[in-house]
Amino acid sequence: MAEEKGLTETKLTVRQIKRGREKKYRDYPVVADNSTVAHELWEPIVHLGLWDIKGHQVVKGPWGGGTIEEAMRRPPKEFMVIDRASFAFYSHSYGLVSPFFRGLLEGKLMGTRCPKCGTVYCPPRAHCWKPECKVADCFENWIDLPLTGIIHTFTVQCLAAAPFEYMLPFSMGWVQVDGADTTLPTLLHIPPKEIFIGKKVKFEFVPEGKRKGDLMDLYAVAMVRGEKVPEWACLQRDPEAMEFVETSMKATLEFIKNRYGIDNGPEARGW
Amino acid sequence: MPKANRRVAICGGGIFRPDLWHGENAEEGVAIAYQDLLRQCPNLEADEIDAVMMSYFSDHLNQQLCMGWIIQDYLGLHGKPGYRVESGGSTPIDALVNAYYLIQSGFFDVILIPGWEWMCEVDVASTNEMIASAADTDWDFPVGGYYNAYYAALETRHMQLYGETCEDLGRIAVKNHNNSTHVSFSQWVSQHGTAPITLDDYWKSRLVCWPYRVLNNAVMSEGACCVLMAAEEKVKRFTDTPMWITGVGVGTDSMRPGDRTADFAYEGFKDEARIYPDFVKLPRTPYPDMANFASLHVAAKRAYAQAGITNPLKDMDLMEFFAPYDGVELCLYEDLGLCGRGEGKHMIREGVVEYGGECPVNVSGALTATGHPVGATSLYYTTFLFWQLAGKTKEKCGQDGLQVPNAKRALITGHGGTGCQGAVITFERD
Repeated sequence: MAEEKGLTETKLTVRQIKRGREKKYRDYPVVADNSTVAHELWEPIVHLGLWDIKGHQVVKGPWGGGTIEEAMRRPPKEFMVIDRASFAFYSHSYGLVSPFFRGLLEGKLMGTRCPKCGTVYCPPRAHCWKPECKVADCFENWIDLPLTGIIHTFTVQCLAAAPFEYMLPFSMGWVQVDGADTTLPTLLHIPPKEIFIGKKVKFEFVPEGKRKGDLMDLYAVAMVRGEKVPEWACLQRDPEAMEFVETSMKATLEFIKNRYGIDNGPEARGW
Repeated sequence: MPKANRRVAICGGGIFRPDLWHGENAEEGVAIAYQDLLRQCPNLEADEIDAVMMSYFSDHLNQQLCMGWIIQDYLGLHGKPGYRVESGGSTPIDALVNAYYLIQSGFFDVILIPGWEWMCEVDVASTNEMIASAADTDWDFPVGGYYNAYYAALETRHMQLYGETCEDLGRIAVKNHNNSTHVSFSQWVSQHGTAPITLDDYWKSRLVCWPYRVLNNAVMSEGACCVLMAAEEKVKRFTDTPMWITGVGVGTDSMRPGDRTADFAYEGFKDEARIYPDFVKLPRTPYPDMANFASLHVAAKRAYAQAGITNPLKDMDLMEFFAPYDGVELCLYEDLGLCGRGEGKHMIREGVVEYGGECPVNVSGALTATGHPVGATSLYYTTFLFWQLAGKTKEKCGQDGLQVPNAKRALITGHGGTGCQGAVITFERD
């Protein structure tokens, strides 16, 4: 096949560059170092060759203004289309809400409380957003939150942005953690036929060794297994909608199996 | 309310149609749109353009910073003041708003507003990823997030609170796609032809994020548009049918939609909040909740106050909504005051917003059908309204063009993020 020929012959040149760690944080001590070899060797991982043209195609297509019919009536022109990749590797600080993410690594869910108005933020804010509190410091007021909450709203995804495609199909939603005033974006490890707004959930964490320090470290499961779905629930009250979601999820499972070789079925995933 | 120093009008728009792919690159596409504008405003000389207000959203999609400089130079306008406006999906309407501020205040007389976006250089999943980097990347993005999912979750909540159905979303999709088949620059026509679609086609449309199917979602586009805006002293040189700007309102809301359960900024609107249905258990939150779009609600109030609009349903002849997902259109019926909160579903069921209805919405076909190259989007639909108020829709779109009879007043909305920023502009002809 043409693509395979391109790959094996000359097109993909992975530059193996070894270099020392860039001095990024002035002289401040790194008190915990959980970075990986990617920190030094990111370039071949990310770039597969910086700005290198990996090939090109020539496409014969319509040109010029007006309607599509007018454009199609003109003799087509040949456009050269190059393939090139470019991105970077970021070392991003979570700032004053870093304790939240370090808490995730330890299996804890934390929020901040404004010392002036008492609003409990989860996601945490380091400073209160209420004008009357005049950007009050909240970052010394961490509170441990219970691993329980209520689904505020949700969706079932059969299409995703590039980094999350391999996880499809899945549900995400916003969960109001008990005791918090704001709501937390959360992956829902709950079959869509059981998801409804107002459902009580509990948070679980991925195994300790697999936690990375972002919201993918935790997910929500049903508080009560096999809980009856109320008759007003917006997805399930329409049997055709529910059936459509189930059919779409099956098709998505097949797509992911073909593209990634991953089985995201309920048996394999356990939910 | 700002003091009206002088009147400002849209004098025309030039279009390079949106499509899934163009051989021409962005600067060439903008040049084609500019040629189209010059044909419509033959008196326009480059010397008369005081400044250029450039509208494009993403630096990532083409891996090019300062694309505005390329455009300004390419059009030979590089001696003049030039600005780039960027606010996600709000970008093109924000360019209009800022150009209006500068002209209305007396600083400039004539501003050219070129807008464009070339969204298909990377694959669709990566385009979605790059667009989603307009969401909070520490919080909303990592959880499998992108805008289709965020908006789907917002619509799920609205649906639960107020009882619209998937069929209502289907009706909006059918309306807009069929409107689009009458538009000369429609991407839907370019890709799928002019055959009308039905609810059956909608039911066959693939699921993206429940409740949204493919036909409910904005298309990916490449395209460009150039709008000319001028002060009243200059207007007559460019057009006999100026579209006057009578009101401009801007609003903002929380960055993360999840924070709207504690959205203190809109506590003043509690009096408008309908009582939640009994079955909706805690947490109940005041307007806008994670359902409606408060930024556009206040933007509309501000624009209506300037324009003297008291009953938008009666006072307006047509509206163009920035609705990348059909539930947004339904919510905006409410947020813009065409009906009460929770009553949006009746507007589509009763045909109020259809072409021929009391207040047609998205006669252009808009973002889900006609095109959504972000930086050009609101400029396309402003140009479409310019045709409508000038009575030129059939001249521009052919005999099948859907001209709203005697259209005198219209409005356009635009917004970015999950309604993080929004604007409403009201227009009126002489």
